[in-house]
Amino acid sequence: MTVETITERLGQRVGEALLDTRTHKETRLYLTVDPAAVVDAADELFNRMQARYVITAATDQRRDHGAYLITHFFSFDADDVYVAVHTRVPEGNPRIDAITPTVPGAGWAEREMRDVMGVEPVGHPDPRRLVLPDDWPEDLHPLRCDFSTADSPAPVTGMEMPMKDIPEGAVMVPVGPYFPTQHEPESFAVFVEGETVVGSDYRGFYNHRGIEKLGCSDLTYNQIPFVAERICGICGFVHSCAYCMAVEEAAGIEVPRRADYIRTVFLELERLHSHLLWTGVAAHIIGFDTLFMQTWRMREPVMWLCEKLTGNRKTYGMNIVGGVRRDIPDDAHDDIERVLADIEREWTALAEAVPGDRTLMARLRDVGYLSPEEARNVCALGPTARGSGKRIDVRIDHPYAAYDELELSAPVEEGGDTLARTLVRLAETPIAISIIRQALARMPDGPVRAEIDEDISPGLEGIAAVEAPRGESFHWVLTGENNRPARWRVRAPTYANLQAIDAMIKGDVLADVPIDIGSIDPCYSCTDRMTVIDRRSGQMRVMTREEMLGSRQTAEHTGT
Amino acid sequence: MTIASKLKEALLCMKAGRVTLPYPFEPHDPEEGFRGLPKVDVNKCIGCGGCANVCPARLIRVIDKDQSTRVLVFLYERCTFCGRCAEVCPEGAIEMTRDFELSTDDVHDDMIGEYHIFMGPCERCGRCYRPPTALDKLMKPGMREDTIDRKCPMLCPGRTEEKE
Repeated sequence: MTVETITERLGQRVGEALLDTRTHKETRLYLTVDPAAVVDAADELFNRMQARYVITAATDQRRDHGAYLITHFFSFDADDVYVAVHTRVPEGNPRIDAITPTVPGAGWAEREMRDVMGVEPVGHPDPRRLVLPDDWPEDLHPLRCDFSTADSPAPVTGMEMPMKDIPEGAVMVPVGPYFPTQHEPESFAVFVEGETVVGSDYRGFYNHRGIEKLGCSDLTYNQIPFVAERICGICGFVHSCAYCMAVEEAAGIEVPRRADYIRTVFLELERLHSHLLWTGVAAHIIGFDTLFMQTWRMREPVMWLCEKLTGNRKTYGMNIVGGVRRDIPDDAHDDIERVLADIEREWTALAEAVPGDRTLMARLRDVGYLSPEEARNVCALGPTARGSGKRIDVRIDHPYAAYDELELSAPVEEGGDTLARTLVRLAETPIAISIIRQALARMPDGPVRAEIDEDISPGLEGIAAVEAPRGESFHWVLTGENNRPARWRVRAPTYANLQAIDAMIKGDVLADVPIDIGSIDPCYSCTDRMTVIDRRSGQMRVMTREEMLGSRQTAEHTGT
Repeated sequence: MTIASKLKEALLCMKAGRVTLPYPFEPHDPEEGFRGLPKVDVNKCIGCGGCANVCPARLIRVIDKDQSTRVLVFLYERCTFCGRCAEVCPEGAIEMTRDFELSTDDVHDDMIGEYHIFMGPCERCGRCYRPPTALDKLMKPGMREDTIDRKCPMLCPGRTEEKE
């Protein structure tokens, strides 16, 4: 489907309500529609034309347009087209029809839009707060321009966490506030009948760092890559790369080809160490610590290699708008090849041993089933989607960096269970090694960074997506005044994949929940509170900060 | 099948042997090119403030203490070791050392670096500025005792045009 067909079909559906269209290189389509037609447009794109919903962004444009700009993003993966549907909601009446009843995957994004920008999604089936803390004032929306990064409302005690009602006959088991095996805080409430899971609820975002706010208030274009890199502790390069590509697209900056290849090498090195890490973590979750130790041992040389090439083992600090900061010297090729060869040899041995291990199979097969329909509804990404038979991979669908010149494939499994997601990752690892080798062999000579002398003019927009080890990482940048972005929207893959957990764990036994959750390779933010249930009354409430501090002090005194 | 798999797995582990490093009992230096704690050479610094302008963590503060002293304050505890300051410094006054052992057992160690740079006051607007050449800097009042009662005024670039 080309941008022309999409525009034409949307025009037929919403008619006069399609106010403006703009394309960029036949791969980006920016539409402006009347607020009244936004649900129709989303329905036409998602349900009729079978686009994939990506994310929703809200931008404060009250000063220039007297309105909030709401943007729904969709992707036509088979046709390499991203569609942005812009809508301007008047300042005086910040309400817009929710698209969640039509596009189920938009559930979280529209709740977030209400939290951070104060634009009410009318008709949202689950209008609870998502991102902001429970004690945050109702009428304070942090992404609005009149909210300063220095503002901080006083904490309030006695607020309740808005949880879903427990189904009749079920009991709630908290998985969290500290994930039992992943060493990351999160808060799942799992509803069980006996051993069987019948539903769940999730409350996260407790350590929301406001990075998007920083990016559209305090920071300049070239400060953001280093902050973006810290969005994720594993796939940081993915975020800095996607951000830089979005700015480069918006400003029309031509990146030297060598820089594209260097970015590709590091993206794949990151996938390599991320998948090795995940294999270890997954093994650890099901109590197979030998595998955990061995995969992490295999992973370590990649970290040392990156330290040698970039100056740091994790936060590489390589990306900058216009290219990369360090070249890969020719004499480093041997070092890289040595690390790759070692991993390839050991990984092959491991990949041969693992599928024969009956204990492992017993824990992975037929648990955490995610049907292809459900995967599409929640807009699952990466190995989570590919484990459910969805052939989507940004590297192939929307080629970026040097992927258009390299040979690669996206392994797909039809099983939909945790084993399928594991097999996808096992198969992706040798492909990553092959991509690095190809990129190093074909890397052209030349500069690694474009010289940018002029300021970037305001009002331009750019979309970039990168296939992170966990799925598509999506960045949208709208340029602003004073050489800094007016809005920078980030959607990490776990944002979509976490919404699939509810469907995945239903019908499983409680003991499988940790590996089900672990199988999407989640990246949580941190959460800092507890849910306690009074056993006699069955009442659920959230412990306050004071109570937690109190209990900590008691624990210290009694030495527990 | 299971037995064979277990044997293969055991073989993997045995081949690997012991891999844990004896660090911190033995030093483990990072690779060449590692970006550790930035070190500022005050003798090279010209006080342009370019480092403060690009620092993503915004930990470098530029404070003009008086008419001829510019103080660069590095709040090192916020440093993310990206090395942008060293990259943009026109004089090469900042070097990323390989020092990564920054933990301390002294609670009063606030990890602040203060660097005093002699600038030179513009003799009309009174603000700190960098004299164009080293010789000009020598001519600034306060730099040398014999320049204190110098007659000819030194002006910052904006003011020089005004004079002409």
